[in-house]
Amino acid sequence: MKKITVIVRNLPLNTRRNSEALRMGVGLTLREDKVTVIFMDDGVYSAAPAVPELIGAPTLKKEFEALPMMKCTMLADKPSLEKREIKNLVPNVKPEDRDEIVRTITGSDIVIPF
Amino acid sequence: MKLGILLTSSPENENTNTVIEISRAAREKGHEVSIFLMYDGVYNVHKKEFAELAGKGVSIAVCALNAEQRNVQKVEGILFGSQYDHACIAGDVDRFISFG
Amino acid sequence: MQDMVNMTTELDLRGEVCPYTFVKTKLKLEEIECGEELIVAFDHAPAVENVPGNLKNEGHKILGIEKKDDHLWKVRIRKA
Repeated sequence: MKKITVIVRNLPLNTRRNSEALRMGVGLTLREDKVTVIFMDDGVYSAAPAVPELIGAPTLKKEFEALPMMKCTMLADKPSLEKREIKNLVPNVKPEDRDEIVRTITGSDIVIPF
Repeated sequence: MKLGILLTSSPENENTNTVIEISRAAREKGHEVSIFLMYDGVYNVHKKEFAELAGKGVSIAVCALNAEQRNVQKVEGILFGSQYDHACIAGDVDRFISFG
Repeated sequence: MQDMVNMTTELDLRGEVCPYTFVKTKLKLEEIECGEELIVAFDHAPAVENVPGNLKNEGHKILGIEKKDDHLWKVRIRKA
């Protein structure tokens, strides 16, 4: 079993990269590997409640349902959250200290910054 | 050694040339190479260099959903596969590099 | 008592795309017993091209793929 980390770093509403990163994260769980998704920098906005469908952008509802179901851990980088004053996160995303984020990344067999 | 490569950027990005050169060099040294193209990376599928890599034994798979979304037509010798195929590559290789 | 081998479950995955077509098929297969059959309906062509092969890779048996119309296929699977 490999440890695979997917890093989401972009602003969510001007790209489909973030939704695709999460869809890919769901796919990566299919061979029983341990998948972690980390939201950091502007990517933390993707982990905050939003209504992207109002502007025709993809909703992340399905991804946020499937990832915990497939035992994927979702972490949000605390310094990134604090800098942007984000207080609320979608269910199952855990705010995490930078040290732990670094430990997760360096302890991974594969890191995919998407 | 088995090398896995994920490419998510379009052919205009310099990543494309890097992926081609790395794959070519790895094959010349006898390594197994698997490439997965997804997101805008699926646009690379029509580049002749990727057909050449496939001819040299590089395994190339494309996210069929992303290709369908972008109206990218199928190419012989390249698997229009699924995210499961990507998970298999990630699970099976010794080293994995992501370009996006 | 009903013969377990003859038990068939149906799953409607119309409207779903990759990887949810595979994820939901896999989760449903986890609910049924080995040897039982699952029939899955897909309306996304790439899913019909990929999910059966991916399931075979996981050891399951594909008993048949039936094309109902231009946008509907039914895949019959036996759980390994």
